[in-house]
Amino acid sequence: MIASIDVVEVALALCLTGTALVCLFDRHLLRACRFFVAFAIAMALAWWQLGAIWLASAELLLGAVLTGLCCFYALGHVGSSGSSVLAHDHFSEPWTRIAMRVVLALVWFVMVAVAIGYVLTDMQHSPAEHPLLLAGVVIAASAMASFALHRHLLRRLLAFNLLGSGVFMLLAGVAGTTPTAQVLISVGLLVAALGSMLGVLLIRQLLHLQGVNALDHDSGPKESAT
Amino acid sequence: MIWRFGLFDSTFTPLATTHWALLTVLCLPLLMGLLAALFPPKRAWPVLLASAPIVAAGLMLLFAFNDAGLLRWQWAVADIQLSLRLNGLSVLLLLTTQWIGVAAALYTPGYLRLSDPGPMARWLWPLMGTLISALSLMWLATDLLTLYVALELMGLAAVGMLLLSGKAAALKAGMRYLLLALVGSLTYLLGVALILGHWGRLDLQGLAEIIEPGPVAWFAAALVGAGLALKAALFPLHAWLSPVHENAWTPVSALHAGLVIKASLFMLVLLWSILLPDAFYAPRVIAWLGMLAIVWGGLLAWRTDSLKTLVASSTVAQLGYLMVIFPLLLGADVAPLPRALAWEGFWLQLMGHAFAKAAMFMAAGNLILATGESTLKGLAGTSRRLPLSLLVFGIASITLMGLPPSAGFTAKWLLFEAMIITQQWWAVAALLVGTLLTAAYIFRMFRYSFDESAPRQRYQPLAPGMDLIALTLALAAFALGLFAHYPLGLMHGGGV
Repeated sequence: MIASIDVVEVALALCLTGTALVCLFDRHLLRACRFFVAFAIAMALAWWQLGAIWLASAELLLGAVLTGLCCFYALGHVGSSGSSVLAHDHFSEPWTRIAMRVVLALVWFVMVAVAIGYVLTDMQHSPAEHPLLLAGVVIAASAMASFALHRHLLRRLLAFNLLGSGVFMLLAGVAGTTPTAQVLISVGLLVAALGSMLGVLLIRQLLHLQGVNALDHDSGPKESAT
Repeated sequence: MIWRFGLFDSTFTPLATTHWALLTVLCLPLLMGLLAALFPPKRAWPVLLASAPIVAAGLMLLFAFNDAGLLRWQWAVADIQLSLRLNGLSVLLLLTTQWIGVAAALYTPGYLRLSDPGPMARWLWPLMGTLISALSLMWLATDLLTLYVALELMGLAAVGMLLLSGKAAALKAGMRYLLLALVGSLTYLLGVALILGHWGRLDLQGLAEIIEPGPVAWFAAALVGAGLALKAALFPLHAWLSPVHENAWTPVSALHAGLVIKASLFMLVLLWSILLPDAFYAPRVIAWLGMLAIVWGGLLAWRTDSLKTLVASSTVAQLGYLMVIFPLLLGADVAPLPRALAWEGFWLQLMGHAFAKAAMFMAAGNLILATGESTLKGLAGTSRRLPLSLLVFGIASITLMGLPPSAGFTAKWLLFEAMIITQQWWAVAALLVGTLLTAAYIFRMFRYSFDESAPRQRYQPLAPGMDLIALTLALAAFALGLFAHYPLGLMHGGGV
């Protein structure tokens, strides 16, 4: 069984997991965005490896080019004049919050892993043979964790995009790359790209109106509610 | 259970004319929205003219359903089978969507003229059109892929609309909503992935035949349910709702609270009735949460100082009524009679609430626009100067409280009957508590409005028809209760 593992696939899975983790947990936002683009390109290669050419091109176009451009636009590196205010995420979280979110993420991870590994014995690609599937589980879980953890809106947007990629990878893993699954994933990719565009426009507008502190997710609604 | 959703083969192939009606219903709202973006209408009559063919096509589908029973259209594109179906419930929800949509669209020109909306206003029209088209598609869809497409179109259009007011608070609330909605749809997609991987198909009718209870179905139901509950603002996941409505434009709030939230709930009931046909615990958990929602939403609405938060929190509580019915709809060991009653009560309550809540948001928007204040205290003196807006608010709240002769009363009557037959006294108690709390926050609002001690001088005059449209919607909720036998007959699959 070990022998049947493809070296290229292992390399791709490691590459995907590595770029995803950097992208999720680097406070230097520009570097995180660069790693996001690298992740999207690796993702396109992974689709190619799985024999879904159409998805590979869609991922390259929507994920790497469009969403990548969106992220750089949010940082002010495309189009408008460059602003350095967004280079770092300065929001800090109390450790109780971190601990709680880590527990939540672990629960999520265990749930997904149990659902995939234990329940679906008859799936198209078994996780033992396909490291890409394992990478999908890890990416989805860590993206969910960082989505719950981070307060910076841009980082949450990045985490959502990675979560999406992880989920698509899982979908392809459990259902194979049948036409139906490909259509489902393409719709998901399109929605993620549209959502990212909308989110980035919002971030720019918020920056324009209120400055960097407006991007702190927790500060807003509670103030307006009182 | 599944036959109630019309997931079976039809007796007659649909006539050619119904194809055109279907095309009109699905595409024309989108096209008219794009047209309105190019030439934004300044008055209500162009909107009326544009929406006439859409409503006419909806009525045509109703008559076609009356003649032929279930309608089912099928196409094959490449390898993928596409099909849409129209049963009594779909017709009802379709007409509800169209009429509330038309009312909101008619309300919009006057509102935009008075409220100085800024340059983004023209984008409201295509988004509104997309929303109506996506909702119409959702009521007709028969497979998980179409449902997913419709859900996403609807969600993105809804987020876009809520952002248009452009204030920082609105943007922040909108960003939060956007992120949660997107994550919710990924959770849904993961559930769909499990279904596709295990059973290898996505059409609901086929799935209903082959799905057997087991861990895969439970996991898929949990994932799909979590995603949809997030989008529907069901109780523990409702926190995004009030801030979003607080800053949105009135017609947008009316559409969102009336229709968008209900669409996710519709999908939840539909998918759970396939995935969990005779579950014991899952519907009961929803029902317990629903009871908490009734109390918590009622308390929030009772304590708030802002008129729009009051109306939005009341949505949380009213969704609680619908959640309490879940064990009767989906649970095991429910006799046919109470299940049929619960089914009728559920959808009647949902539609009555859609009309009443849209009317209430419009009335609240009128009051806020006229007085220039969004707090309850700012309403002082409105009873003399804005009686019509207050009257609309009152008529809408009669439906929410469930007093006769409204749809809320008829629905609660049916639900009480079902709950008493099955001896679910806790659910009866929850409904009664909900009624009392609703009365408490509604009368609190009226106490402020009848306060004569603070005379105000200036009121912004409203555009003609703004109150009238809201009144029509509120009265539609009455009509739905008075002539309930007609929608109830449609719901049971037969004609009239």
